[in-house]
Amino acid sequence: MSCKEIRESLPDIACGLEPASAQVEEHLRSCTECAQKLNEFRQTMSLLDEWQAPEPSPYFDTRLHARLREETARPQWGWLGWLRKPALVVALTLLLGVGISLFRGGAPLNRSNSVVASAAPGTPVGDLQALDKNHDLYADFDLLDDVQVQPDVNP
Amino acid sequence: MDGGLLGLGAVSQRANSSPLSPATPLPTAVEEGVTDAEVMLRVKTGDQAAFDYLVHKYRRAMVSFMYRMAHNSAAAEDLAQEVFLRVYRSRDTYAASAKFTTWLYRIATNLAVNYARDTRHERPENTVSLDQPDEETGLTMDIADSSLTVEQNILRRERMAAIRKHVQELPERQRMAVVMHKYQGMDYRQIAEVLHLSESATKSLLFRAYETLRDKLKDFV
Repeated sequence: MSCKEIRESLPDIACGLEPASAQVEEHLRSCTECAQKLNEFRQTMSLLDEWQAPEPSPYFDTRLHARLREETARPQWGWLGWLRKPALVVALTLLLGVGISLFRGGAPLNRSNSVVASAAPGTPVGDLQALDKNHDLYADFDLLDDVQVQPDVNP
Repeated sequence: MDGGLLGLGAVSQRANSSPLSPATPLPTAVEEGVTDAEVMLRVKTGDQAAFDYLVHKYRRAMVSFMYRMAHNSAAAEDLAQEVFLRVYRSRDTYAASAKFTTWLYRIATNLAVNYARDTRHERPENTVSLDQPDEETGLTMDIADSSLTVEQNILRRERMAAIRKHVQELPERQRMAVVMHKYQGMDYRQIAEVLHLSESATKSLLFRAYETLRDKLKDFV
């Protein structure tokens, strides 16, 4: 067995979880480096054993049962459970508000942004811009067909 | 019972008291030979005694696990209770396809990781000191050993602080694996199932973790 194969099993041997096999024992007798490492792991494990955890408090069950009672007494929200998360509700409300305001106010906003500058009245561009804004003209556009136009006078 | 899953024998060899076995005898509501998965299926049908049995069986293990993951005794109890609350909440969706303890430790590791992430920016003064008595229980985590001299007690506390520091500084998965392997007595297969890793990956993960601890703690051995 190689050192690499043996080394990964050293923590388990050091913990006492796994007895060293005959092959491992043989390797450890001939490889001082691995034997040294096993010894160090044993010391480390022994040190780690000093870290003891506390026992559950005497009130553990009482508290848990109280929390369980609260849990079962609480109304079941089902699929509306997300309403119990205030941050989510606030975020969704804000998102909805922003969405509505964009939907309702978005078009004029874009239009005003798209106009770079107003041309001076009297210029061709200015006349076209004035025509574009003249909604009454478009509303009565059909009436233009009925207007009698004086025929061109040839010289 | 599913007791063998956690290697109780191995743990009791390495520590004075196993964090995984209940300190008091288990309630007799569940007959011998019934697996935890079967007990959980009873919880699913509304059997409160079956739930109490699981709480009684695993509360020590959960407090111990959470204590070493959270480094805070008050939080450890709350988190352990939260694990059981989640077990209770999920009773309707529990499927006995996975071993109960694998499922339990998955819930516990998720909670512990979230807790660690949520509290990583907390200032030290906002956390419960391990050396100060708990306000509610009056218990002290590192009780000075009266058989030791003052100097020996100081050295002991330094060792404890070093162990906690270096275990806490391990990468998240290594830390969880070490706590499950060293303190919960779980074997590679069980840890691999909880962490969604292969057994060989778990073995390598643990070896790297112990190598780090061996190196960092060599001055204290």
